[in-house]
Amino acid sequence: MSDKRVVRVEVNGAWHDGLVEPRRTLSDFLRDDLDLTGTHVACENGFCGNCNVLLDGETVRSCLMFAVQADGRSLTTVEGLAEPDGTLGRLQQAFHDNHGLQCGFCTPAMLLTAHEYLEAYPDGGTDEQIREAISGVICRCTGYQHIVESIRAAAGGAA
Amino acid sequence: MKPAPFAYHAPDTLDEALELLAPGDGVRVLAGGQSLVPMMKARALRPTVVIDVNRIPGLAVVEEEGGALRIGALTRQQALLDNDVAGRAQPLLHAAGRFAGYLATRHRGTVGGSLAFAAPWAELSAAMVALDAQLEVRSARGERTVPARSFFTGPNETVLEPDELLTSVHVPAAAPRTGAGFHEVSARYRDFAQVAAAATVTVDDAGVCTAAELVLLCVAPVPHRVDVAHLVGTTGDAAALDAVAGLLVGLEPLDDIEVSGTYRSRVAVTLAKRALGDAFDHARGAA
Repeated sequence: MSDKRVVRVEVNGAWHDGLVEPRRTLSDFLRDDLDLTGTHVACENGFCGNCNVLLDGETVRSCLMFAVQADGRSLTTVEGLAEPDGTLGRLQQAFHDNHGLQCGFCTPAMLLTAHEYLEAYPDGGTDEQIREAISGVICRCTGYQHIVESIRAAAGGAA
Repeated sequence: MKPAPFAYHAPDTLDEALELLAPGDGVRVLAGGQSLVPMMKARALRPTVVIDVNRIPGLAVVEEEGGALRIGALTRQQALLDNDVAGRAQPLLHAAGRFAGYLATRHRGTVGGSLAFAAPWAELSAAMVALDAQLEVRSARGERTVPARSFFTGPNETVLEPDELLTSVHVPAAAPRTGAGFHEVSARYRDFAQVAAAATVTVDDAGVCTAAELVLLCVAPVPHRVDVAHLVGTTGDAAALDAVAGLLVGLEPLDDIEVSGTYRSRVAVTLAKRALGDAFDHARGAA
């Protein structure tokens, strides 16, 4: 009853094919089938936000989508934020410079969430708006202050 | 945990979806997945057939006519928040909707899904009850309209039959000089509401109330509508708002791991007064 289905998704600019059970979550597909382990999975129930990826430019919980639902869609994961030669993107560099991470587990989701935020608020907006934006991603290390400072530092240029 | 195996269908038309849904038992509709998927992962739900309605055109349309709104059930919660026409027509939709989850869950989560899952803390449920919305429900057997005020039957329970699909929500036009207020308390920022209050107030050109609605969440098994007719003829002064406390005596909210029912009762009074107060201010400003 659970026949495998072909899935074709664009991830960070490259198209990938997969053969998945319908119950395969997008996060498991990215990590285990495409070997893109930058997408981190914590609660797997939509609460923590650590699995956030960009689906056609909008953040979504990749643990709450089935891979089959992403068929034909375009995804960006944290692996897509750096330059092809590995040079950090502006937002990543800002996190590095401003101590926007400690253990690094939430960092991929924080970066993608901040990326979407800065698209909407290129000047960085207010601290309150930044905190509202990242409220859906739980960080257990930083207390968020340095994450807010990193996002503010990255504002004003392409993330 | 991972969901149990299921057969997956992604129909392109509403009729096809209703046919697939017709057997009822073991069949579940997948819209935004923000409630269904966690419940499938917990194996609290083990549907054998999942019908993904995301590819059906026309289910996510928001239309406005004369101030009345028709909101397609597949409208994403964030799309409703981004819809200025809807926000102007019925400010409560935005006041309440911005408390619904987080941006990343609102990008996927739908208006219809929130109502159909009927979580006790669902802000949009409170809004639709306050606004006297009418829910359009379809099945292979036909269609019917259910008032939001009789849609909810308990926590996570509605009058929807297993073969029925909520297709759209009709919100009547607001009277001129109608304002909205929404307040909630949660353990963590933007987490599930422990108590919430939704209010609308309509005033005349002298600022005197002609109609008011108050709906509370998490104080009863379903969104709880409070008769605040005593506010009509008042200006929403302190005495009028303080009288709301008397209307909430006798409610018996449940205890849970985070808060006691007693706490909910006390907070409900404060949030109700704040929501109504905001609605009065907003209504006078919207003159």
